[in-house]
Amino acid sequence: MTSGLRRAASTVVLVVVSFLITALILRVSGYSVGDVLSGIIQGAITATGASTSSIRWAIPLLLIALGVVIGFRAGFFNIGGQGQFYMGACSALAISLGWREGPAGLVILCGTLAAMLAGVLWSLFPGWLRVRFGTDEVLTTLMMSFIGALVLQYLTAGPMRNPQGTGQTAASERIPEAFRLTGGSGVSLTVLLLVAGVTVLVWLVLERTRFGLTMTLVGRNATMARWQGINVRRVGLGAFALSGALAGLAGAVELYGPAARLVTGFSPEVGFTAVVVALVGLLNVWGTVVAAIFFGGLQAAILFLPIVTDLPPPALVLLHGMVAFLVTIKFRAVRRRRAAQAEAQAG
Amino acid sequence: MTAPSGPAPAGAPAVRCRSLGVSFGAVRALHGVSLELAPGRIHALVGQNGAGKTTLAKVLGGLQVPDTGDVHIAGKEIPPGDVSAAKAAGLAMVHQHFSLPPSFTVAEALELTAARPGGRAVYRRGDLQQRWRDDVAEIGGTAALSTRIRDLPVEARQSLEIVRALATEASVLLLDEPTALLTPVATDALFERLRHLRDSGVTVLVVLHKLREVAAVADTVSVLRDGELVLGPAEMSEVSQGRLSDAIVGPADHADDEVGVRAIAHDQETLLELAGVSSGESAFEPGLSGVDLRVEAGEIVGVAGVEGNGQRSLVSVIAGLSPLSEGSIHIDGDEMTAAAPARRRMRGLRLVPFDRNTEGVSQSAPLWLNQSALRLIGREGLETLYPPRRGWVHSVHSPGSSDRGPRQMARLLNDWWQRRSPLISLRQYKWQATQAMDRWRVRYDNVTQPAESLSGGNIQRLILSRELDSGLEALVAAQPTRGLDFAATEFVRRSLRGLRDAGAGVLLISSDLDELFELSDRLLVMYGGQIVARFDGPYDRRAVGDAMTGAVR
Repeated sequence: MTSGLRRAASTVVLVVVSFLITALILRVSGYSVGDVLSGIIQGAITATGASTSSIRWAIPLLLIALGVVIGFRAGFFNIGGQGQFYMGACSALAISLGWREGPAGLVILCGTLAAMLAGVLWSLFPGWLRVRFGTDEVLTTLMMSFIGALVLQYLTAGPMRNPQGTGQTAASERIPEAFRLTGGSGVSLTVLLLVAGVTVLVWLVLERTRFGLTMTLVGRNATMARWQGINVRRVGLGAFALSGALAGLAGAVELYGPAARLVTGFSPEVGFTAVVVALVGLLNVWGTVVAAIFFGGLQAAILFLPIVTDLPPPALVLLHGMVAFLVTIKFRAVRRRRAAQAEAQAG
Repeated sequence: MTAPSGPAPAGAPAVRCRSLGVSFGAVRALHGVSLELAPGRIHALVGQNGAGKTTLAKVLGGLQVPDTGDVHIAGKEIPPGDVSAAKAAGLAMVHQHFSLPPSFTVAEALELTAARPGGRAVYRRGDLQQRWRDDVAEIGGTAALSTRIRDLPVEARQSLEIVRALATEASVLLLDEPTALLTPVATDALFERLRHLRDSGVTVLVVLHKLREVAAVADTVSVLRDGELVLGPAEMSEVSQGRLSDAIVGPADHADDEVGVRAIAHDQETLLELAGVSSGESAFEPGLSGVDLRVEAGEIVGVAGVEGNGQRSLVSVIAGLSPLSEGSIHIDGDEMTAAAPARRRMRGLRLVPFDRNTEGVSQSAPLWLNQSALRLIGREGLETLYPPRRGWVHSVHSPGSSDRGPRQMARLLNDWWQRRSPLISLRQYKWQATQAMDRWRVRYDNVTQPAESLSGGNIQRLILSRELDSGLEALVAAQPTRGLDFAATEFVRRSLRGLRDAGAGVLLISSDLDELFELSDRLLVMYGGQIVARFDGPYDRRAVGDAMTGAVR
């Protein structure tokens, strides 16, 4: 456990360093670091509704990041959460608008299942390419994300466009109020319980089922797993499917929660930030929960800051990028060091 | 690299090191090692796995900076960790691990890394192949010179490393376990070449594992144990075999003598049967053609052959990892020709794969997970092999303290939950893994440590503890003792014999003829993907050797 603590500590250090570098850049660009920092704290925690807003953003991040963690366990890097999230939201929307008169509970259930199914399909295709032809899933899941974003754009600008819409960006009609699980804040007891339940379930699957252990073995050494009689392809597809289902679920939660309708390009970074969340969370379920809350707070702060400072919103996206950058470097360095150590020990 | 400096001046030792010490963290790899090697002789360096042989070789070659001590080659002091100075002083090294660039062809790799005089900056592949053909043939290498290194099997890569070092015309040649992956024929060829080099004035220091090989080739022998030089360099003629093995093993440790084999229950007499099996060829091996073999209960069937004659194809076809084009496979009487690997495992097939570090264990995964891997493949078949909780509750909680009332209810409930729930008990997995590893004398500190922290012999014990511990009927053991030290080799051989006596069927694939002769009840010889000869003991080394080279068809 001490090595786990050390890894956690070094990740915290990385995040702090990212803050310092970002602060330096802001300073050099002529902003007051103190103001920005107090703005972040207000936007994430202290201002009215700020902590709710933090949780609201943590929810989709957590769900998608858990999918990334599952993929990683089996040795795959599913970075296409964004597309799977969009497809999930679109499917739930189609069900909800198509069956407005239905009983709320049933419609929500069907919509959620449809969203998960859409997420599964959207990630299973690159997954199949990977296990069948060895296509690099980093590339294909990313590409599928762009396709997903374009499908959303087409739907909101075309078949699902709200004819009464006046806004400049294309958006769908709103789903009936009865179908919503939260108000505009995006947080309610139902949703929190749902997300907590899903998190515990993911942990159980990963750590306390045969399938979870099998994924661990496959992810660490697929050759050995094959020799043990494990069907490596099936396990890989299972991991991709679960991963996509979680991102799809995040889409449904977004729709039935804060969004109520879909706007072209909504929550544009959530799928990619979720990858960083999973890495900062050390690819571990509970670590990911902590990281999701942290990045949820950051997202809330990004939206809040322009109100209290003259800082343009992209300035804090810089912080995201910095964390992602450092965490990725560390991730690679640890892997390389581990490989070198293994070699030294074999000698 | 500069021109070779020729034999060292008479009188000066070819290699001299004084009080070398190297530590890796808390591990003391070398301690106070002082060694002088006379020029123009073959010196053997032996010791168990982890005794510090490779570390010493690396220090001499300048690849490892020692904490204390110094190194002189041919009378010149080598600055610590200076590879090029060591090379300039005339030292060439053959590593245990492979260092040839994977994307190069054989000829290109040799040309690039050996720096033999007469090369040109612009080359044609054909010319290069011409230049290196004789060198490769001399060591018994069968690889085509236009093959890329990455497509070669490990055995062929190893022999190329030797070709390369021999070609540099060094005055001191250092070989780190060069025979670990070689066939007996290739080993003999290598030794012949080493003697020839010695006679032309080259000093050879060779790290070896097998006493037979030491006796065959060495003029002097030195023994390392736990990082210290405990014997030598001593003239071979003055050291008895017994003294040598005592020096290697150290104060007797017979805790390992017992082997955890359990009795085997089987339905059929023929546990593994292949009839007319053919398969497509793989990247570097011929496919099988018309292979018939049976392994009965209570026998060890040996498979001899020069590596690369279809042994890998044979094992992966039996395991279900690659398809066969013709023929049939039966395991314990059931047709398994097209069965998934998992079904074969559940029917009692167990495997000790060729490469224990990549195929046998997952290096970074914890010991208990490596040990429990077979439990993951299916619920039904293995439940009988690993009764969900027999032993667990009874040992963790005190047995029979109170068998009535609520406690019994709780236990029944627990029983039911353990059987029905999709969730597993890590505690039970770890407990079972500990039991099995203890039975097989795996030395470890903690079940959660990664497999890569174990030595080679311990990793093999871990694999045996998984494969042999439960439900085994037929075992396919591929090179089970390759690269292991004396103690571990003996342990594995005892285990195989124990299995046979307990009624299992064993198919033993090995390139070590002594091992095959010692263990096999029957012996098959593979050549070019076919079984070309069958022998019953006592075996005629000559006849088997002829069959291995394809002289008998």
